[in-house]
Amino acid sequence: MTSYVAVGLLSLLTLSIPVGIVLFLLGFGVDVFFSSFPLIRGLGNLVWSTSNNATLIAIPLFVLLGEILVRSGIATRTYTALDRWVSWLPGGLVHANVATATMFSATSGSSVATAATVATVAMPQAEKLGYDPKLFSGAIAAGGTLGIMIPPSINLIVYGFLTQTSIPRLFLAGLLPGLALAIGFMAITALICLMRPSLGGTRRVFPLSEMMQALLQLLPIILLFTIIIGSIYKGWATPTEAAAVGVACAILIAAIFGSVSRHMFTDAILGTIKITSMIMLVVIGASFLNFTLASAGLGRELEEFLSGLGLTPLGTIFVVVLIYIVLGFFIETLSLMVVTIPIIVPVVVAQGFDPIWFGILMIVLIEMALITPPVGLNLYVVQGARKSGKMSDVMLGSIPFVLAMLAMAAALIAFPGIALFLPNAVGG
Amino acid sequence: MEEIVLDKLRVWNRRIAILTGLVLLACVCVVLLDILMRRVGSSLGGTDEISGYVVAITTSWGMAYTLLELGHVRIDLLRGWSGRLGRSLFDLFAMTVMAGTITLIAAKCWPVLARSLANSSRANTPLETPLALVQIPWFAGWVWFAIVAWLTLAAALMLVLKGQFEQSEKAIGCFGEQEAASK
Repeated sequence: MTSYVAVGLLSLLTLSIPVGIVLFLLGFGVDVFFSSFPLIRGLGNLVWSTSNNATLIAIPLFVLLGEILVRSGIATRTYTALDRWVSWLPGGLVHANVATATMFSATSGSSVATAATVATVAMPQAEKLGYDPKLFSGAIAAGGTLGIMIPPSINLIVYGFLTQTSIPRLFLAGLLPGLALAIGFMAITALICLMRPSLGGTRRVFPLSEMMQALLQLLPIILLFTIIIGSIYKGWATPTEAAAVGVACAILIAAIFGSVSRHMFTDAILGTIKITSMIMLVVIGASFLNFTLASAGLGRELEEFLSGLGLTPLGTIFVVVLIYIVLGFFIETLSLMVVTIPIIVPVVVAQGFDPIWFGILMIVLIEMALITPPVGLNLYVVQGARKSGKMSDVMLGSIPFVLAMLAMAAALIAFPGIALFLPNAVGG
Repeated sequence: MEEIVLDKLRVWNRRIAILTGLVLLACVCVVLLDILMRRVGSSLGGTDEISGYVVAITTSWGMAYTLLELGHVRIDLLRGWSGRLGRSLFDLFAMTVMAGTITLIAAKCWPVLARSLANSSRANTPLETPLALVQIPWFAGWVWFAIVAWLTLAAALMLVLKGQFEQSEKAIGCFGEQEAASK
């Protein structure tokens, strides 16, 4: 059955059938070939129960929040402000790319939205100030991936939903690794630019008064993050409700900046419906496939296979990491997540690993998939915003950051505390 | 003719998408009201339930809009290497499979609604919502998705037969990761 799913998945995907539909088809196949009960009878109920779910409303709401921030010009202000603070470092504005991406990650649940936002604002500066296009665009692609690690994160919500794991705990667990990655990205940039100063463009030092003034521009986004995350941990709102609070605050901030208009709302709404429906078709398809796989006993089969290999728990994790790296080259990231969660998470948890910790490890690997060709959405997002130059520039520029992610994955395996410290310290 | 059908479908689905977005914003208001009321020791009750219904209904009605905006993710590996005719064949094949699957899903959703109608079922919640009330729009959304999928496929097929590959690609082509990026 495992090989049926793997071969079926890859061949249907290569035929360019939409990913959500492929998941349904595989589910139908499992039903016909591997199950003694007609599982398809449960399809209608499953579609209803998956989509009639209050937790999932966080998806459209966090998407909407991001759309409002992008379309109201808050992104541009944040970038300019962070430029004042980090452009003295070796690598100059490249650090502003990573820092802006980090800040946006803290309010946006999506990596693609984060990368698109930063790329749109940053790219025009690169040429003006003479930066190496490779490093500059690679940093945006990589920085954007933090969107799914630093809370709030749509991918963590989907992970929590599919594995019945606490979403607030997942959010807490993602915070330290997310910040560590951001610092890692900046350290790598500084190191590269110290060795090859020509890559780093002009370093600029701004007067203190200008820096302090810039801080004011950062207030809205810091406030938004504090309200979203604060309301969750104060117990005032669930992660789902916090998304609604975030949307309301974003509208308020946009109104203060005078950017609220009918046009802005229509665009934000249309963007939200488009992205949400795409995600939901994949999530519903994955739920159906989960259901058929579980009913047909795939978990048992996989466990037997893995125990047959005689791997230690650590060995299993290495095999899993390898699987994600390889699949990450070819499969779009959300799809990769939802397709593999039902198969891999039960096996990993059965080996005694913490599902929260594994969720974070998986996110690091998924982040890597976002910037590894040929199917690395963030690479295309950044290239799309550049409008000129070669795609391979972005790919080459991302390589140092891929190494940082590999190091992070290794660190998480060696020291699970990096992810588990915060959720355990806060408790609950 | 085909272009007119596609244009009409786009216009209608855009309107529907805006309407579903407004439902979403209304849901934001309800959730906020509930949070505020909880702070003063009272509660609206049932916001979770309402949110669930909003997800189900906005999702089913938003699918067709996403379809016409080429928003449902497809992997463009083999297709990207093919010529114009090859790409069109990939698109027609993928669209046929999609329309068929969506029709099957919509058909399988009917028994869920039919049962609720027959038993006058109510949700097992404080609101005791009559399930048919929320399942009718949910089911209708899937049926609409199936209808739009078949109509789009038919229009695209006609375009391909007339040799208008470019227009057909606009209707059922791959969203292209570059384009996704610019959204």
